[in-house]
Order: sequence, then structure tokens, then C-alpha cells
Amino acid sequence: MLKIENLCKTYPNGTQALNGVSFEVEEGEFLAVIGLSGSGKSTLLRCINRLIEPTSGKIIWNDLDITAATGKEIRFIRRQIGMIFQQFNLVKRSSVSTNVLSGRLGYVPTIPSLFHVFSKDDHERVKKTLDMVGLADKIDVRADSLSGGQQQRVGIARALMQEPKMILADEPVASLDPVLAHSILKYLEKLNKDYGMTVICSLHFLDLVHRYATRAIALNEGRLVFEGLPKEIDDAQFKHIYGKEAERIEII
Amino acid sequence: MTKKQPEQQILHDNKKIIPFLSIIIPGSSQIIFKKPWRGFSIFIFLLISGYLVYWGFEKFEISKVQLNENNFIPWLILPLFLFYAWNIFDAFQISKNKKSPAIIAILSVMVILYTIGWSVTGVKLERLVTRFTDAKSVMNKLVNPDFFSTTINGKIEICSWGCLWDYSVAKINGSETTEVFLSSNVGQIFGQKGTVTASSWAVLFGKATKNQRIPGFETGKIIETIAIGLLATLFSTVLAVPVSFLAAHNIMKRIPGGSVVYYIVRTFLNIVRAIDTVVWGLIIIVWVGLGSFAGVIALTIHSIAALGKLFSEEIEHIDAGPVEAIEATGGNFYQIIRYAVIPQVIPSFLSYTLLRWDINMRSATVIGFVAGGGIGFFVLETIRMGGYQQYAAALWAIAVVIILVDYISSKWRFNILKDQPKFVEKKSTWKKVRNIIYVILAIIVFLYCWEITKIDLSKLFDPGPTFGRLLKDFISIDLTGKVIDNVLRELIITTMQAFLATTLGGILAIPFSFLAAKNLTGKSKFSSWIFYLVRSLFNILRSIEALLYVAIFVYWVGIGPFAGMLALAITTFALMGKLFSEAIENIDSGPIEAVSATGANKLQAIVYSVVPQIVPPFLSYLIYQWDINIRMATIIGFAGGGGIGLMLSTFFGSLQYHKAGTVIVAIVIIIAVMDFSSAKIREKFI
Repeated sequence: MLKIENLCKTYPNGTQALNGVSFEVEEGEFLAVIGLSGSGKSTLLRCINRLIEPTSGKIIWNDLDITAATGKEIRFIRRQIGMIFQQFNLVKRSSVSTNVLSGRLGYVPTIPSLFHVFSKDDHERVKKTLDMVGLADKIDVRADSLSGGQQQRVGIARALMQEPKMILADEPVASLDPVLAHSILKYLEKLNKDYGMTVICSLHFLDLVHRYATRAIALNEGRLVFEGLPKEIDDAQFKHIYGKEAERIEII
Repeated sequence: MTKKQPEQQILHDNKKIIPFLSIIIPGSSQIIFKKPWRGFSIFIFLLISGYLVYWGFEKFEISKVQLNENNFIPWLILPLFLFYAWNIFDAFQISKNKKSPAIIAILSVMVILYTIGWSVTGVKLERLVTRFTDAKSVMNKLVNPDFFSTTINGKIEICSWGCLWDYSVAKINGSETTEVFLSSNVGQIFGQKGTVTASSWAVLFGKATKNQRIPGFETGKIIETIAIGLLATLFSTVLAVPVSFLAAHNIMKRIPGGSVVYYIVRTFLNIVRAIDTVVWGLIIIVWVGLGSFAGVIALTIHSIAALGKLFSEEIEHIDAGPVEAIEATGGNFYQIIRYAVIPQVIPSFLSYTLLRWDINMRSATVIGFVAGGGIGFFVLETIRMGGYQQYAAALWAIAVVIILVDYISSKWRFNILKDQPKFVEKKSTWKKVRNIIYVILAIIVFLYCWEITKIDLSKLFDPGPTFGRLLKDFISIDLTGKVIDNVLRELIITTMQAFLATTLGGILAIPFSFLAAKNLTGKSKFSSWIFYLVRSLFNILRSIEALLYVAIFVYWVGIGPFAGMLALAITTFALMGKLFSEAIENIDSGPIEAVSATGANKLQAIVYSVVPQIVPPFLSYLIYQWDINIRMATIIGFAGGGGIGLMLSTFFGSLQYHKAGTVIVAIVIIIAVMDFSSAKIREKFI
């Protein structure tokens, strides 16, 4: 269980990205995080694996205090949490296999990894994982020769190499067209349902939230403004989350 | 907004009084009126030109006019006063929200700079004409390099093109003729049989003893030059990579105390970079003695600094996404660098290395002037003996090598920067074999270069007798009044040389660049001939370093800053001509069409559609050239071109290291200031 307590983050330039956010995530949940751009979604996700240092507050994960972890402990925690990004964040010039292998970096000893030496098991795992996301034939091509949807699947494969217990997905489909968005989210759904991984995913479109999430939270200017089931977001809630000017747009 | 209100109020209330401030402190009211850039420029330029007028009058009696019996003043105070008056006028105009013509200010500063510059660099344009006969004889020798010889009346004479023509005609007709053979000069440039010091391989295999003179193949000076350039590039790249990580802020801020290291390394790189390769040569020969080895070290040191800066900027500009992703997988610092940073920077690192190779090859042709290795040393010898035809042969050899290097380097860079993903197929056996052959060839070339540049690492730990003194004296530099006075004088001369060369060379390049732009010359046979002719002229002139041109101008107009300025102007002309013409080729053709469609003729079309598009790139290139010229001007004196370089080599030659230290500090300061200001100007205008 992930427990966030009174989390605050103020950037050096004075922007208050998170302002006393508290909520809980049960194991095996698919939690959607919604809110406008700049509402603090990305900061929240990055605080959970400490890519961003929270200013104050606590994050407890299975009785482990993430906020108190240092150096090696942080890396030990990070490797159990897979992360997927809006811009995929692949090393474009490296091959698909190298990108996927880099998901193992938290497990392998430093010196061999610097010379690109990985165990046979790891190489096998790359094949298996790529097979799972349907990219087995692309193993040797450069990442930038893939389409956006394929690149995001490589991103998922990289996260899976970590054998994660939890997956953080930061707007994973915002750079993709709607059809591809469903295909990517179906992979996340599969990981959630079949493998029992907790998924915390920030999303833009409400219909995607309704379709995939088991629970949702909403942020507005760094504050938690909603917590509940996706279907509870009615028009009143919607205005509350997105502001009065907002209008609902449906996509496929 | 609320905070600014009272400030605005004050500004508004005192609109009538503020302009008067510019009478006391020029530029101050412009600054208060929220035009800090304008105000600051006015202040600085008025200060500099005021000082220059005073200095020029005191030291050289520049622009002296008699007021009455025993009172003299410089007439240059007129433009100075005009500038000052304009500054007040400008302040009042701004207070009325009107514009004032900046051209008055620019013109008065130009008059001052040009008058002072003209005088201190000893420009004597009439010499270009009166001594033209001397120049003609040099030109004649330059186009008739000493490549072939023949025997006339039992004596060996140089066989020029005419003689070669007669010889070939006679050969074809089958008639009797005197033999023509390669000159000994060619042997010295490209290599010949002779006696050499036994190579370390011969020593290793017991065929010779150390330092024994044995018959063998003497390496040509141009080959030695190529070896110096190659090795320096290799060494500096290998060393610059780790340095660049220390100088990249996004990397260093990840480790404790890294920011401090970052600032130290960056400062250090900037200082090392400000000192030209040739000046490094002066220092290095005190350490390891004369020879190619000193040349390799000098080039390597300067290249590490230059590449280190470029590499680190490249690291700072990488996409941060993959870094974040690798960090999120639990990778540590080293793994982040290995998997997220290095793959991203490889193409740009390679491209910069190739660019540096080009620059290093050029530097290698002149490093011999001080370090005593490579073709530069040979050129210096020929000039000393007045052998202008041998000198010409060396220049032609250099031109061929540099043009080739330039071509290869830019082709490779183009391919690397395209960086298209390749669809990997299974590597064929032939490709594997080929790669192995390449590696073996590279190792052989490397070992050969190592051998002929006489690299002796033990020398690094056995410094020359005066090296300790040099280090000591560099720390306690001479700051006495007289030295400072002299250094300042040479510094002004050097800066003026660079200023005149940049402006004159740049202006001269403009009309020629139009002739070398393919989109303007058109497609007729005659104009494409002009295109190729002018482009080749640019390329040939560009392949020779300014330092090598000095000898020609010394012969033509005499030793001194004027000769150096002309040499700089020639290289400026060549590089600017090339860059300008490429800028013209890159313009948007739409406006030309539109203006031509109105019935304008070719010249009108150029004035109204081309000129507005090329002013920004031209200015930007001129600033770039100014940065180059100010560096070159500091070394032009080594070949008799005047300026601070002559002073520096004299101080080194007479072992006055503490004074040499003063000069070097002065060079570092002036280059740092100029770099900073040109970067600011670029930011502001381009």
C-alpha cells in the first residue's frame, strides 16, 4: 500500500507545485491522476520515486519510508517502480535492445554494465518482454526508426525489465493519437489485472479514465480536489476540477 | 505591477530633468530611460575613444594641429565632441519619445578608431603601389614554385612552368633536350632518401644503436605536419572527453561539490583557450625542447581546451528525458552517463573532432615557426634565406593538403550529423575483414606518426633547464610602469590590426561574394566560370594561415604591423568571401522573384531583395571573424607582422619570463573581454 501524507513541493523559483496532498493507493489499483496542465501531476509522480525531492511530507510504501531513503536505498526503491513517460524518453540513437536492457541497470553490477555486459538471463528477458509488447522483430533497430506507438511500447518493455511492483505513468498517451492511446493503455490494464501491478497513471481525457481506472484523484493548483471512483466525476465535479470555463470533449 | 507604479511616476515627473544627466555622465539618462544597452554602449565607447585620442596624441602625436605658438591639440577631439553632443541630443530625443540618428555616433567612433588604427599600425597605402615592382617579383616567384630543376651550363637551375612546357613539347616531339628532375626542395617537403636517426624499431630489433645515424628515408616536412595534426587531434579528443564531463553543469550538479569543480574547470578551459597554439609552442619548447614533439603538445593543449568547451556545451544540451528514464530504473551516476548521456553526444563529439582536425592541420602548418617541427619550420628557413621559390613550393603543398583535409572533414561531418538510423543487416564476412584491415591500418599510421614526430614521453618528466624559472617568473609577473606601458601600446596596436583587417577584409569580400554565389551568377557559361574562379580563389587563399602570408607582405611593404594587418586582411577576405557567398546562396528566393516580377533589373533586385536578407548573417560572420582575428593578431608578430607577438617572442628569446608572463596575462584579458563583448553583441542584434 502506498500512503502519501501532506506532500508539498515548492520549486526554487517559488512555484508551489504540490500543496499538502494526501491519499492512499491499495495494491493492485489502477489509479488515474487528472487535472489541468501545471496542476502538479508530473511533480506528484516524480516525488513518488524521488526523481524530484519533495519539500515536505511523507511517502510510505509497504511500510518503507521513501522520503527518508538515501543513495543506494533510493535506487533500490526505484528499481521496483517502473516509469513510463509522455515523451517515451528512449535514447533515440541506441538500439531497441539496449534501451530495454537499460531497465536492468538497477540490478546489475556497475562495472560490467559500463561495458554493456549483461547476463544471458537478461538477454532472454529482453526477448520475452519485447514479445509481450509485440515488438520481437524490432530488437536490433534503432529506437528513432520506430513510430510513436512502438516507441512507447519499448518504454513499457524497459519498465517491465525492472520486474516492478508498481508502475508510474506520466501522461503515457498524450503524445499519441486516440487509437494508439487505447492500445498502450490496454497493455497497462493487462499488467494491472493479470500481473497485479499497481498502476498510477496521469491522464488528460476523462473517457480514458472512465474506461481504464479503478479509482481517480484530481489535482488543481497543487491541491487534491477530488478522490473517488471515476463514475463519480459528474458535471459539477468536472467544473470543480477543471475550472468553470472548461467543457467536456468526448473522444472515441 | 503595483511596485512599478511609483517608479514610472518618478520617471514621468522628471522627464525634463533626466536628459541633463547625460551631460555629466554620458549614457546615464539613457540607462534611466530603460535603454541600458544603449546607455552602456555610449558610456564605454566614449570612454575608450576618449582614452585612445589622448593616448594617440601623447605617444604618437596622432592628428596633431597647432592652435597657437606653443599649444597643440589633436583634431580628433572634434569627432569625440560630436559623439558627446549626440549623446546629450539623444537623451533629449528619448525623453520626447523620438528617435535620433545613431549613424552620427557610429561615424564619429569610426573616424576616431580608423585614424588611430591607421596611424599605429603604420598603414602606408602608397607602399602597395610604390613597391609594387618588389611585389611583382614575389608574385612571380609564388606562381613559379621550386618543384623541378634542370641543368643549364653545368649549374642546377629551377625549372619553371615555361621550362617544363618546353621540356614536355621536346619530349613529345622526340627531340634532344636537357633532363628535368625533381628539385631537392621537393625531397625536403615530401620526403627523400638520406641519413636518418635510427628509429626506435630499428633499435628494438638490434639493427642499430640509439641515436645512430643510418641511411634511410627522410620524412618530408609536410608529412611531419600531417602527423602533428593527426596526433594532436587524437590525443586532445581522448583527453577532452573526461574534461568535458567535469565542465558540464548538468552532470556536475549531480555529485556533491561538483558545481565548484565545474566553475574551476570552465575558467581554466577559457584561459587555456585564450592563449593561441603558437604561444603555447613558446612555453612548451622551454619544457621539452625544439621539435615536432613540442608542436604536438602545444596543439594538444589548446585543442583540449577548445574541444572541452564545445563537448561540455554539447553535454549540457542533451535531451534530459533519457537521463530521467535511466534514473527512474534505479541506475547509478555512472550508468546514467553510460546509457543516457554518451549515446546522445557521440555524433556531435565526432563532428567536433573532425572540425578540430581541420583546425589542427592548419595550426600544424605554422607551429614550426616557434616549435621547430613540421612545414612551418621549413617555411621560416626559406624566408630567412630569401628562397621565395622554395617558400612558394611549400605554400602550394600546404594549400593542397589543407584543401583536401577541409574537403574530407566537411564531407564526414555532413554524413555524421545527418545521423540516419541504419537498418542493421547481418554483417558480411567481407565487412568484418574490411573493418579489421581498417583497424590495423589505423594502428600502423598511429605508430608511424608517433615515430616521425619523435614523441618522447620521458622528456615530459625531464624539463629543460629554464623551465623551473619560467614557472616561477610566470607567478611573479612584471607589473612595473614601463612594462605595462609597452604592453598596453602593443595591445592597442594588435587590437587595431585586428579591427582594420576585419573591416577592410570584410568589406572587400562583399562584392566578390556576390560573384561566388551560384544563385546570383546564373547559368550562362561565362558566369559559371566566374563562380568557379572566385570560389577557388577563396578556397586557396583560405588554406594558408595568416602567419604564412606575412612573409609576402614583409617583402612588399616592409616589416611591421602594416604587413601583419594585410596578412590578416587576406585571410579575412578569403573566409568571409566563402561564408558570405554561402549565406547568399541560402537566402529565400521568393523575394527575388517578386522584385524581378515588378520589372526591376538584376542590380535593383539584389539591392531590394537580397541585401535585407543577408545583413544579419554577414554581421554575425564578421563578429566571428573578429574573434578569430584578435587571436591571430597576437601571433602575427612571430613572422615580422608587428603587434604583441613580436614583443612576446623577444621576451621569451631573452629569457625575460616575468615580462613574457605579463604579456600572456594581457592577451588572456583582452581575448576574454573581446569574447564576452562579441557574445553580448551577437545576443543583442542577431
